[in-house]
Amino acid sequence: MVTCAACGTVAEEGSKFCEQCGTPLGAPAAVAEVPVVVVPDEPVAPAACRACGGTIADDGYCESCGEKAVSERDHWSELPSALVGGVCDRGRRKSRNEDAMALALSGTTAVLVVCDGVSNVPDSDIASLTAARAARDVLVTGSAGSTVGAWSALLVTATAAADQAIADAVGDTSGRDEPPSCTFVAAVVDGPTVVAAWLGDSRVYWLPDEGAAHQVSVDDSAANEMIARGVPRAKAEASREGHAITRWLGPDAETVVPSTGTTRAQGPGWVLACSDGLWNYCSEATDVADLLHRTITQVGSAPDVVAAELVRWANEQGGHDNITAALARVAAPVDTVHTDEAVPADRPSDLAPPAR
Amino acid sequence: MADFRTEVFQNEFLSDGATDVHAIVTVTSSGAGTAATSSGGVAEIVIIDTSGSMSGPNIDAAKYAAQVAVDQIADGTWFSIIGGSHVANRAFPYPNAPVAIVQMEPGAREEAKRAISYMRPSGGTAMSTWLRLADAIFAEVPQVAQKHAILLTDGRNESEPRAELSSAIYDVTGHFQCDARGVGSSWEVAELREIATALLGTVDLIRNPADIAADFKALVAESMSKGVADAELRVWAPQGAQVLFVRRVAPTVEDLTSRRTEVNALTGAYPTGAWGDESRDYHVAVRVPSKPVGSEQLAARVQIAVGGDVLASGLVKARWSDDSSLTARINPEVAHYTGQAELASVIQEGLAAKASGDEATATVKLGRAVQLAAETGNEEATSRLRRVVEIDDEEQGTVRLKRNTDKLDEMALDTASTKTTRVRR
Repeated sequence: MVTCAACGTVAEEGSKFCEQCGTPLGAPAAVAEVPVVVVPDEPVAPAACRACGGTIADDGYCESCGEKAVSERDHWSELPSALVGGVCDRGRRKSRNEDAMALALSGTTAVLVVCDGVSNVPDSDIASLTAARAARDVLVTGSAGSTVGAWSALLVTATAAADQAIADAVGDTSGRDEPPSCTFVAAVVDGPTVVAAWLGDSRVYWLPDEGAAHQVSVDDSAANEMIARGVPRAKAEASREGHAITRWLGPDAETVVPSTGTTRAQGPGWVLACSDGLWNYCSEATDVADLLHRTITQVGSAPDVVAAELVRWANEQGGHDNITAALARVAAPVDTVHTDEAVPADRPSDLAPPAR
Repeated sequence: MADFRTEVFQNEFLSDGATDVHAIVTVTSSGAGTAATSSGGVAEIVIIDTSGSMSGPNIDAAKYAAQVAVDQIADGTWFSIIGGSHVANRAFPYPNAPVAIVQMEPGAREEAKRAISYMRPSGGTAMSTWLRLADAIFAEVPQVAQKHAILLTDGRNESEPRAELSSAIYDVTGHFQCDARGVGSSWEVAELREIATALLGTVDLIRNPADIAADFKALVAESMSKGVADAELRVWAPQGAQVLFVRRVAPTVEDLTSRRTEVNALTGAYPTGAWGDESRDYHVAVRVPSKPVGSEQLAARVQIAVGGDVLASGLVKARWSDDSSLTARINPEVAHYTGQAELASVIQEGLAAKASGDEATATVKLGRAVQLAAETGNEEATSRLRRVVEIDDEEQGTVRLKRNTDKLDEMALDTASTKTTRVRR
């Protein structure tokens, strides 16, 4: 039996291209499922210094350059496949990392979940990581080629699971003045179909290699309410109250039914899920696309490497907040190819599925 | 085994672009035991000036003091007595004895006291020979870890060039510790300070010969109370950083920067000598390359090591911040000891200027000293300064040099200049 590597459709014996999406068959699937990177719940000092590669002493600092050892919770990278990867980082100013992410490749479907714990509220770091993982674990049960409606329903289920996981992890904290809570954004990338669900202001962008980029999610934020009232975007996002989110996950959430949005890729590109630690420095989708393309030119197209570079860039801009960038590659959904000349000679190399 | 612990006082916050990190590290030992429990044993040598100038009450008092010291030396301690003039002579064990150093026991104690009573003053003063003989005698007991000498003089090192003394000090440094004492006003503070500084001891003035015995008694008791033979202060600084200075700042100011020996490329060791149950403060300054605001790193590990084992470690940190309410704070311990170190140097510079007839410089330096002593609450320094200068305005440091000051008062001010007071907490 031959299955299309891009969309999972079962092809007839002898077919050279997928009936469904036109991807060449026969070539080994570019992406094999890789076990999800396990992040320990307790911060563990890594053996090597992130700055110089030196040994970390028992006192928690590098033996050669003095850099403070970064716990796994403060900075980690996931690369479930060659097409899906991300980096979650404490940033420079915050004392701990309350962002979280959980990524997976299930069959051919990429799953990106990013949660941003509410700043400086006890246990928000636990809430965000638990929520992200719970949602991912639901989303990987979806089947490739499902309808947008089915994916949306699964995303709603996943969001509810994430909220339940927070409740299980932090107990009944609704009585606290500030119960732990977090934003939620999830994207499933099923072939050319991108379906997103969110609560709060963590975002999903569609960033095609060519053509117009756009934000798939719509922030549940005071800033957006201001924009809806006619305040210019830059001014609204820079305003003090603009960052207040109007929906979230956690014991004091009013609703945990996410908004959903979808987009269908017309060509190859990237889906980016990120926290405001990144988009604060680069909000407009076209700017994000420029940043991404510039980054790929510099460091190549391995998704974890690109994500790490985006995080580094955000830190360079100040790193005021925790930063998460998660990427999934959408390979060329070539609808109209009927011959062997699937790949034009002048095609830029960075449009090909990235190889590692 | 002694317990060491460290406590670090610093403001770890640096403003954007700042590079210099200062910290006061308090090192405290407890359970050090005594010299009797020290592994490897203890050796003690008493060196008495027997030059011609000692004739009269000085030699009588010195001999009495040496006998008191012998009474204080615990049984089992290796010991020897040296009489020093332009040459050094071993007084006990007797010069014709087959061994140069013996272990204390009641019979040896009585015989040593008799030997001391035979000492007669004559000749000049060449301290290099005293130190070299002590060094040779200590070398007879290589198994002994803790070696301590007391040196008493009443005069200048007049029988040899100064370079001879410096060269001998250089040669014996690291072999034993030595406390140096001057009686009367005819000795040179700088000479004894050079000996005591290099040999990790103290220098002090004894005004009245009758007080020598009490001082010797205290010195031997102090030496006998030290159960840790030799500890070193280690300072690790990160790759690319520079250790600006390492100073002991309490109980006295002593710059250790040039005493560094390399442990590894990033770590230097500085000698601290023997330890009893006590507490000392060190001021460590490190220059690190500036990092972006928000970064945190370790600027130094300050450790105490005995026999190569690190027993305690203090962490000096650097965190860059744009919050001026954090970065502008000056750590009170750092400020206090920075002032005390400056106090020691302006007293010494002021007295040196006065001695050379440069009254303008002396007035400015001693005025600054008065101001610093007041600011840092060092009342003993203020009262010693008062004997040398008339204070018009303590806060402004306005002073006039006193006429006809007692030489002993100037020497007392000089020898005590490095004594510091601790921060009131």
